[in-house]
Amino acid sequence: MIHHKLSKRDFLKLSATAGTLLVAPAWAQPAPTPPAAPRGQVIAGISQEPTVFNPLMPGSEVDQGVWWQLFSTLWFIDAQGNTVADLAREVPSVANGGLSADGLTWKVKLKTNATWHDGKPFTARDVKYTLELINNPAFRARNRVGHALVRDITVVADDEIHWRMESSFTPYMSVLSQTFMVPEHLLATAADPNTAPYNQAPVGTGPFRWGARRAGDHIQLERNPAYHGQGPYLLRVIFKYIPDQTMLYTQFRSGQIDYLGLSGIQPSFEQEAAKLRGARIMPVPTPFIEHVALNLGFAPFADKSVREALYLGMNKEARIKAIYQGRPLPTESYVPKGHWAYNDALPAHRYDPQAARALLDAAGWVPGSDGIRVKNGQRLAFSNSTTAGAQAREQSQQLLMQDWRQIGVEMTIENMPAAVIWGNFWQKSQYQSVMVASNFLQGSDPDVTARFSSASIPAKGGSGLNTYQYQNPEMDQLLVQGTREFNLDERKRIYHRIQEIVRTDLVLLPVSQTVIIEAVKEKLVGYENNINSSSNCWNMRSWYWAS
Amino acid sequence: MMKAPGISDPATAAGPYCPPGPLRAGWRRLTRNKLATAGVVTIALMVLLCFAGPLVLRLDASYIDVLNRFAPPLTGGHLLGTDELGRDVLARLMAGGRISLTIGFAAMLISVVIGTIVGMIAGYRRGFVGALLMRFVDAMLAFPTIFLILALAMLVKPGIVSTTILISATCWMEVARLVEGQYRSLRNTEYVAAARTAGASGLRIMVVELLPNAMGPIIIVATLNVARAILLESYVSYLGYGIQPPVASLGNMLNNAQIYLTSAPWLAIVPGVAIALTVTSVNFIGEGLRNILEPRSL
Amino acid sequence: MTQYLLKRGGQSLVLLLLVSLIGFGILYLSPGGPLSQLAQSSNMAQEDIDRLTRSMGLDRPFLIQYGDWLLRMVRGDWGASYRDGVGVLATIGSHIGATLSLMAVSTVIAALLGGMIGIWGAVRRHSLMDALSSVGAMIALSIPTFWFGLMAIYLFSIKLGWLPAGNQQTFGDGSFLDLVHHMIAPVMVLALVETAVWARFMRSSMIETLEQDYIRTARAKGAGGRAIILSHALRNALLPMITLVGLQFPTLLGGALITETVFSWPGMGRLFFDSLEYRDYPVVMGILMLSAIMVMLGSLLADVLYAIADPRIRMD
Repeated sequence: MIHHKLSKRDFLKLSATAGTLLVAPAWAQPAPTPPAAPRGQVIAGISQEPTVFNPLMPGSEVDQGVWWQLFSTLWFIDAQGNTVADLAREVPSVANGGLSADGLTWKVKLKTNATWHDGKPFTARDVKYTLELINNPAFRARNRVGHALVRDITVVADDEIHWRMESSFTPYMSVLSQTFMVPEHLLATAADPNTAPYNQAPVGTGPFRWGARRAGDHIQLERNPAYHGQGPYLLRVIFKYIPDQTMLYTQFRSGQIDYLGLSGIQPSFEQEAAKLRGARIMPVPTPFIEHVALNLGFAPFADKSVREALYLGMNKEARIKAIYQGRPLPTESYVPKGHWAYNDALPAHRYDPQAARALLDAAGWVPGSDGIRVKNGQRLAFSNSTTAGAQAREQSQQLLMQDWRQIGVEMTIENMPAAVIWGNFWQKSQYQSVMVASNFLQGSDPDVTARFSSASIPAKGGSGLNTYQYQNPEMDQLLVQGTREFNLDERKRIYHRIQEIVRTDLVLLPVSQTVIIEAVKEKLVGYENNINSSSNCWNMRSWYWAS
Repeated sequence: MMKAPGISDPATAAGPYCPPGPLRAGWRRLTRNKLATAGVVTIALMVLLCFAGPLVLRLDASYIDVLNRFAPPLTGGHLLGTDELGRDVLARLMAGGRISLTIGFAAMLISVVIGTIVGMIAGYRRGFVGALLMRFVDAMLAFPTIFLILALAMLVKPGIVSTTILISATCWMEVARLVEGQYRSLRNTEYVAAARTAGASGLRIMVVELLPNAMGPIIIVATLNVARAILLESYVSYLGYGIQPPVASLGNMLNNAQIYLTSAPWLAIVPGVAIALTVTSVNFIGEGLRNILEPRSL
Repeated sequence: MTQYLLKRGGQSLVLLLLVSLIGFGILYLSPGGPLSQLAQSSNMAQEDIDRLTRSMGLDRPFLIQYGDWLLRMVRGDWGASYRDGVGVLATIGSHIGATLSLMAVSTVIAALLGGMIGIWGAVRRHSLMDALSSVGAMIALSIPTFWFGLMAIYLFSIKLGWLPAGNQQTFGDGSFLDLVHHMIAPVMVLALVETAVWARFMRSSMIETLEQDYIRTARAKGAGGRAIILSHALRNALLPMITLVGLQFPTLLGGALITETVFSWPGMGRLFFDSLEYRDYPVVMGILMLSAIMVMLGSLLADVLYAIADPRIRMD
């Protein structure tokens, strides 16, 4: 019996395999051939304005969409989960010597034909500069997960760079798949990279160059004729900012917009949109998981029976069907379906108010005179918050309020503007419960140390995103193991177990995986959904107009 | 023989012509103004509908019926249809009307009280305190109202009480200016000089003697402020910084209705008409009052 | 006159200082900040947020932040947006044109249309036309303007398809005609309230003028025709009109914010609204200061023009 342990090289080749699309329509396959000469333009309609053009600074999803056109990464992960080299000549692995056996020494070979938009060649010095800039305490980098472990960066040649990791960290491959490279020759000379003029007229190595920006209206990017990769087949790409959803849809309908992404079409327009001629409407799963986050520091939530009862009393199906037209995928896990680490054997949700009531009765929560349960003087009443103005979620809240009232739980709605709710209210665990959709993946890596480790609780002085204040020694141990393990099967087992714990402990109440409805003109070919990427505009270099 | 007024006066003993008191006279003049009358009737009906309606009609504004969403008006027993969660629009309208009317009235009260106090002090006392107060009023008035409300909205968590306070905070300045002007001119009258010689304290003069004289313009401004407050509430809630769900207000019903404009337009039409009707009625009442209390050609 | 102007100028500076203090105070005290939303979407952890907060100087005490801002303002440096780093003046500058165009066109329409309605109503007092226009003006002032905008979009864009549903221009079409086409609906909405204000104002101003002694005298003397009397009266009724232009600035600015929000018009009002949402403090302060300056200039303009035109007014 051969005990086959996946070698590190196999692992690293598959490490970021995130599986295929859940929905793989025929059009995603290779379509009519791209034109010989680039032609046409694409106008992408978005409902938030991109304002950050330095890809290392904090930005939102729309900013990411623009970054993918202007900049390149060393490698990226495609829709099928394969790691594909971009600025690197090949993805480093143990087999090709790019990675040491223990994963601590990295030797990356770079392409020699890549150039910046201003003509200067892309070299290893740019990679060194980028990594050092991220770690520079004076620079406003958005986070340093993984990068903080990089030491001794050495430029061996113009096309080769080496560095050492302080400790082995498997997610780093995935982190680098979303780290864009910035030019040393333009930023190093600036007095302060935070406020350099470069940030308003960025220069990258991406398939499109910076064209023009009309603040509050649109951003225009021009084709990069010297792009080192395949494409682009378009002359230009325009990101048009339209804050109103109805107007966004109306403009798509009248043909003024070619692609509607980001939040996609409102569920209420889907039926009408499906009948539009010349347009393709497609439901697209995202890596965002809609859930109810519970602050376990709030007394009633510390009681597991309460959490279980809340989950039993939640009518998921009604919510998904009625408010979201049945689009989202009900889920039990925080990992998106189709991801290699997804655990599909988790206990299924069932809507059973009777069982919920029995559970609460048994736990000593007795209904008071107003129908709300009480135990030791504590009423089972709490607030639920979400971003004010998020219509669908507000509707879900009201449904939930009604559902939970049936089992003797009083939920009050306390919504607030985004700038307030995501401040200390969320970060310092001042909330009681929050309804939100989050992406729990690190790039495409399933590491969730920041979310569930007991050292990641900001309210208790830790550093991370564990605002739920969840503490579990078994979880802590598994999390550490996960980031040190190279064997894919072993990693899978670890993350399956982690999902199991999160589900049985009901650290959060999972509802569904967000599916957005994107709209594209029929003649526009090349669009491909990719849950491993931070934006659905990741491959605009491959888009073209079929004649 | 001494004539004590009205007791043993032969003229009055024979069946007098008593001119009606000021209140009755005012009421008569108001009702003669057709528009103002219409306004009073409309508001009375609305108040009745919003506050007593739910009890009589037995409609639940918060009952969610997901199977029955977006029912057009006059279907399935819903006079005005149902909204995005299947709630009865008429019931929501009544609930929203209650909230908007209450906020309108409460905000008016607060703004009038604050504005009157500030105006009284600044107009009567003058000097450094008065100047400082009025400069503060001027500074607040330099912000366009919506800008000020939105800026102030950042300080508070949105809700009924906070919205009321926000609106009051933007409406008291005009009252203060008005009252200050009134007191400034009244202060130099012989009336006040006499009262002062008689030993009355400043406070007594301000409140007891002079306030009734300034009441006329204050009442007009107060009425118009109710209209303004109801409108402002609709603006703030529409922009998302006012009343939050699940509480209904005429303004946030419009916020929710915007994305359904193509598919369910009645959700936008109904609350808008309600607001327009209410505010117009109050404005007509205010105009009517102005005709009585400040007779000038108009 | 110069003395008056200097005095007013001094007062205005004090007022501006107060305005800036109030505005800055509000921003300083409000919960949340520019980093909150970015934190959520970038999955930033608390230490990243703290690091950025320090780097942006947002953790300094109120007086230091305010003093720093004030000193820079005095030197002409209005700061830079937290969102894209572009200078505040440049950001406002790229948006203000859209707002000014809306305000200007609306004022012209309101003055012409409202003026005509008001004068007509004054001349033909108590006629049906007068009654209708008075009621109409009152209704126009009582409708929420955003609702009127929504109804306009519903009727003219969705149902009839005559007008575009928002934005300033069709992308790629920079023609003047296209701009005008897009402007019709927002101007209609903004001008609604303005026209009503002008109509009422002109009507009462005209009535007051018509009842002046010198008009009566002219009539008594048999001075020829309505036209001559009207032209006399008109000239004097137009006087207050000038002041109205300046006094309406605050209403126009506020109305522009609502209109721009409904029609996705890329103006200063919309910029203010977005900046508040993202807590882009430098831009918010910049717009507050600029609008305060505009409001003060407007009222100064009104006072000065009125005093020039009417020598009976004593400059206080």
